[in-house]
Amino acid sequence: MSLINKIKLFLNSFDDNEYYRINRMRPPGAVDEKLFMKLCVRCSKCIEICPYRVIKRSDLTKNLEAGTPYIYAEEKGCQLCMNCTSVCPTGALDNKLTYFRDTRIGVAIVDDTICLNHLLYNQEEAGIADGTVAVCNQCFNSCPLKFDAIYLEDMILPTITDKCTGCGICTESCPTSPQKAINILPNGMADINSAGYKQYLKRIEKGGR
Amino acid sequence: MQKIRKISQLFFLLLIVAIPILNLMEIYFINGSFISLTVGNLAISDPLAVFQAIFLSHKIVPLMLVSILAPIFIVILFGRVWCSYACPYFLMTEFIDKVKIKLKIKSVRNKNINTNKQNIIRYGLLLIGFIVISILGVPLLYLISPPSVISTQVIMIIKHFAITLEVLIILLILIIEIFFIYRFACRYLCPTGTLLSLFQFKNFGLKVEHIGNCSECKACIKVCPLMLDPKIDGDSKQCNNCGICVDSCKDNLKQKTLFFKMK
Repeated sequence: MSLINKIKLFLNSFDDNEYYRINRMRPPGAVDEKLFMKLCVRCSKCIEICPYRVIKRSDLTKNLEAGTPYIYAEEKGCQLCMNCTSVCPTGALDNKLTYFRDTRIGVAIVDDTICLNHLLYNQEEAGIADGTVAVCNQCFNSCPLKFDAIYLEDMILPTITDKCTGCGICTESCPTSPQKAINILPNGMADINSAGYKQYLKRIEKGGR
Repeated sequence: MQKIRKISQLFFLLLIVAIPILNLMEIYFINGSFISLTVGNLAISDPLAVFQAIFLSHKIVPLMLVSILAPIFIVILFGRVWCSYACPYFLMTEFIDKVKIKLKIKSVRNKNINTNKQNIIRYGLLLIGFIVISILGVPLLYLISPPSVISTQVIMIIKHFAITLEVLIILLILIIEIFFIYRFACRYLCPTGTLLSLFQFKNFGLKVEHIGNCSECKACIKVCPLMLDPKIDGDSKQCNNCGICVDSCKDNLKQKTLFFKMK
């Protein structure tokens, strides 16, 4: 068995497109990532039916994930139209999921070392506000579940609740670059590294949060 | 007969282009690729894809079983007509053959054909494929099934103006087909066709039948795209009921010699 695992790891180790490793999610209703990889037969139905061209096909360069559907939140977040869940032929996307508020693609995480609102708040607390940052609120304004999934603590700090669907619209609209201040941690990824949060977690360990 | 087949092939070719365009126009009545297709409320899936998913996940969703009923039913009744009447790749190889004849390039056709050997090789390849995917744990056999790759790539082109690297596999198969092994994909490689022929039973369904008085002109053997001998292999698992041999038979003009019969 260990040889098989080694082969698996080897075949999975070619993932070179680091940019896409952050903020990539499965379409709504996706089952646990391990089961998803077994069930998804790459029929492209969800890609075809997506009216916003949000769901994209993973390329062969991503090895074993070739052909599976992904949502790249930095390009465009899921608009939660729930067309894709009903068409999946093998149940890799839960066919019974029709209400968009029940979607749990992932959960948004605010990076308070980059977030403009956090920076401004910290500067004002310290009394050194010099006009380099301004109030942003983009994530709050763009969220389809305003006040439910995201609210502004102290009228300024964006805070995520457990009602977040992980659609990634906030990530799409976040103005910081190159790294977004609000990121999606996808649900059910095989491990935290494959979700692309290696660097993010390292920073937390160092006490950067 | 051949005209109907050509029209049917072109219809399915049109379909793989039309479905993504209809979906772009927000008409969702028909949706999907040749791996899985939804027409209204009717779901039709490639049995290969569904069997892979069941084999790997040990999980059966009712929709899976319902969606493979129609294709299996058709195969049991009419043989592998999917390959001859619908598969875009079969159409492509026939087109290549025509171009070859126009350019006067001779096809590489091995004279000594043995149907049993062909069957052993293709079932062996399918078995190896299933062993490989059980090691990887991912249903990847669609990669070597040309119709699946073609239809999903057409979706990608129309929806995202992009192609993914699976196209290279099709090109590789085509190169092998043109220069080395005649009808390589259909005869040996294609897992979709191989799996479908598991449901072709020897004494049930539409078969090519032969009754005496053959003038031994061997036109049917020369013309068979899968290099079978229609007189012997009419009920073979290789035969996909394309009917080219029946149309080529000159004895049919005088008397019914080579014909389709429902067993």
